[in-house]
Amino acid sequence: MSDKPSDLVQGTLDMLILKTLALEPTHGYGISVRIEQMSKGVFRLNAGSLFLAIQRLERDGLIEGEWKPTENNRRAKYYALTHKGRKRLDNETREWGRQVAAIARILEAS
Amino acid sequence: MSLLRNVARGLRSLFRKERVDRELDEEMGAYLEMAAAEKMKDGLSHKEALRAVRLEQGTLEVTKEIVRSGGWEFVVDTLWRDLLFAFRLLRKNPGSTAAVVVALALGMGLNTTVFSFVNALLLRPPRGVKAPEQLREVWIHNPRSSGAEAYLPMTYPDYFYYRDHNQSFEGMLAYDFDPHLVIWNKSGEGQTVLGQLVSGNFFSLLGVNAVLGRTISAEDDQTANPQPVVVLGYAFWRRYFGSDSTIVGKTLTLNGANYGVIGVAPAGFTGLLVGFEPDFWAPTAMVEQITRDKGRLSNWRVHWLIAIGRLKTEASTSGARAEASVLEHQIDMDHPDLKRNLDATVFPATLIPAPLRVYVSAFTALLMAAFGFVLLIACANVASFLLARSTRRTREMAVRAALGAGRGRVIQQMLVESTLLSSLAGLLGLILAYWTAPLLLALKPASLPITLRLPIDWRVLVFTVIVSLICGVVFGLTPALRSASVSVVANLKDETQPAGFRQSRLRSLLMTGEIATCTVLLICGTLCVRSLRNASSINPGFNTQHVIAATLDPGSLGYSDTQVRTFYEQLSEHVRTLPGVTAASFTDHLPLGPAREHTILDPMQPKSNKNDAIPIDILRVAPDYFQTMGISLLRGRDFISSEGAEGSAVTIINEALAKRLWKNQDPVGQRMTFWAGPGKKSSTEVIGVVPTGKYRTLGEAPVPVVYLPQLRARRTLVVRTSGDPTTLLDSIRREIHSVDPNIAPTDLETMQQYMSLPLFPARTTGLLLGVSGFLALALTTIGLFGVISYIVSQRTHEIGVRVALGAQRTDVLNLIIRHGLLLTVIGLVIGLGIAFGAGHLLSSLLYGIAPTDPATFIAVAIVLCAVVFLACYIPARRAISVDPLVALRYE
Repeated sequence: MSDKPSDLVQGTLDMLILKTLALEPTHGYGISVRIEQMSKGVFRLNAGSLFLAIQRLERDGLIEGEWKPTENNRRAKYYALTHKGRKRLDNETREWGRQVAAIARILEAS
Repeated sequence: MSLLRNVARGLRSLFRKERVDRELDEEMGAYLEMAAAEKMKDGLSHKEALRAVRLEQGTLEVTKEIVRSGGWEFVVDTLWRDLLFAFRLLRKNPGSTAAVVVALALGMGLNTTVFSFVNALLLRPPRGVKAPEQLREVWIHNPRSSGAEAYLPMTYPDYFYYRDHNQSFEGMLAYDFDPHLVIWNKSGEGQTVLGQLVSGNFFSLLGVNAVLGRTISAEDDQTANPQPVVVLGYAFWRRYFGSDSTIVGKTLTLNGANYGVIGVAPAGFTGLLVGFEPDFWAPTAMVEQITRDKGRLSNWRVHWLIAIGRLKTEASTSGARAEASVLEHQIDMDHPDLKRNLDATVFPATLIPAPLRVYVSAFTALLMAAFGFVLLIACANVASFLLARSTRRTREMAVRAALGAGRGRVIQQMLVESTLLSSLAGLLGLILAYWTAPLLLALKPASLPITLRLPIDWRVLVFTVIVSLICGVVFGLTPALRSASVSVVANLKDETQPAGFRQSRLRSLLMTGEIATCTVLLICGTLCVRSLRNASSINPGFNTQHVIAATLDPGSLGYSDTQVRTFYEQLSEHVRTLPGVTAASFTDHLPLGPAREHTILDPMQPKSNKNDAIPIDILRVAPDYFQTMGISLLRGRDFISSEGAEGSAVTIINEALAKRLWKNQDPVGQRMTFWAGPGKKSSTEVIGVVPTGKYRTLGEAPVPVVYLPQLRARRTLVVRTSGDPTTLLDSIRREIHSVDPNIAPTDLETMQQYMSLPLFPARTTGLLLGVSGFLALALTTIGLFGVISYIVSQRTHEIGVRVALGAQRTDVLNLIIRHGLLLTVIGLVIGLGIAFGAGHLLSSLLYGIAPTDPATFIAVAIVLCAVVFLACYIPARRAISVDPLVALRYE
């Protein structure tokens, strides 16, 4: 893989956000930092697409937002996974695993 | 669940916008601060850190716009805001807005008007009828013939056979094809009323109930014992009986016989034929009494009933059609003596009988096409207007793009503007149609007993809305796409190029198309107007000045031959004594009307050059007819009154027939034979020759005609006066009344009024296509003027430079006019080509003018060039009168 941050595979951003929030509820910036850290800098999120995805997930009832004070005394919206969101994450993770395995089989066949 | 939440959230964003906005602001602000705090760990100052984050992530505003655009409410919200903005924009330029809207409204209004005709004639189902979509017309079809004449209504026995043997219909009703003008004896005064004969199940099968009394039943309509009963039309009952609630049980004297009123039809129900609103309905079995045609009910040859079936829910139209064909075949087998060899077919029932629908559709399609082109020209104008404006607004668009408006947003905004324009125009067009449709109806000759209603119903509304939306998108899309592809940086730096000729290529293309379309319409319009002038000046073969006609039918009252003869003799004497009357006579029917009698000349007698049968038209006239109608006798003599008796074998022929039969001989004294009925020949002696006139249509080729002296009970009185014929109309009505108060004349009118009937098609097409041609010219001129003006205004700077550098004013003038004329010539050539190719479509509507008439083509080309020259010259003059100093200082 190159050193430049790469684009996300279409449709995987939602799954990544859900996964991040499954570990611990956090705010928008927290999500983007965590995704960057966990991907070791491969995925770097743009604020626009991040908040667009958050808005979509919230409307679909997969995550829930709550205004809370931050460490440095500002207010931020903390998002947490709902029951429905957890189910969706499980489903998508399983599906993703299946697809990756299948793609890998195809690529390795020669 | 999640859909509900989505909607709720969306609504919250829409109606609590400020709060939602504040929250988004705060969330984004927090994000920014946290990102900046992270950067500050690397030793940057707060300000530097914020700047670094913005460079990385884009501005806060753009991000917010992206997030906002994620929800559905965003579309609603922006649509609303675009609409408000568009309104403001239009209000800011009321002049140009009004011009655009009015031009479009003219186009749309005319199209809506024509559509309201299409709707009234072809689309609207009959009113007050239960489930009209299940009704089907059954027609007998003659496969050896073509056009409308190939279809025959049913005979009375046919109807019975089909009604009793079909499996496809729940029931089958019938009504007479021809309206019956009947004389109503209103306490001693005759008045003509319009009646329709209907089968006993007519009302029950249509689901129509009487508002008063009952409707006609099967018991009333028994062939053996028909009941003289009538159901009154609602309008007739209101007008002549003042909505008398005790009318049921009273009697009306119609054509000399008494009929009992059994009920009144509901308001709005006028039967199943368009344009025809019966005053009364009577049972079909009463036909022999009303028409005094004995034996009609058992006659297998007189086709007079339109049969309509109500399709069973499980049956199909194609099944019914196949069945009708089989039934007709069985009739042929059962009655070999008829030698019919006919077929039968089934159509969906509408207000116009199926065989005639083709003609109505063809005519309205022609009008739709003409007015559709006018609308297209109007659209092209608006498109070029919007294009010009979009060029002027490139800076605005660049700012929008810089602030985060996506391509879709810009296109959406432009389309909202254009649809707003077209919707306003559609609204105005609807109002226009509301006024013009009745005006169009006024073209109809008064003698046609047709009442047409043109309601602006939901179909017309839907049509206008769809046309408005299509127009809005059609003329808004190009400017919108243009605006969306604005280059942000260049425009914000103000490196815009002035709109030169090359930059306005799209508009030039539009103008070329507009001129081409305009050429076609102008040529069609001119041809039709000239054809109308030709038609009006066609010599019909008789003098239309100073003549009055009135149709009388004492036979309908059951008068004997002697009574009829006495009546006419007395009437003739009375009328001749009126002041100013110079001649009076009778004829069976007037030429150029709907009535016709024709037969075939026996080819063996006399020997014609070709061994073929000559079809001839028969006109029956009394003595003095030629004198009254201003027809000169070329040879021989007029009829005398004793020759009016049955059996006198004399005839007067027209020149067309004389030339055909006896080329170089004197026809007077010759004998000829023609078929006077099935298997019956009639041999006559020619006693005179008159010039050939027009008998069926004004555009016809010479028709061979014989005049016979034997008349029937139904006659048309013709009177020549020396003065103004209109002053005599009332005296003639009085004379008829004084001779016999029971007889009322129909179509009492001057011959010039009568001529509006044969001229009707020419008048309608002449007026409508003339109007469309004129509108096309006006709109094209305005459009061209606008484009050239715009180009000139954009090039003021360049022209100033040219003049400052020593260009002559004529050079500048040439430069601008040349461009306009180039567009015109290209458009003109294309338009002339199309008009030349499509002209034959019009040929059946044209009188005495070829669809490729060179004079018309040349005149249209010259007029168009002249108008275009003016449209270019005026703005060009303005351009050269610009002071170069002012022009250069402009920027």
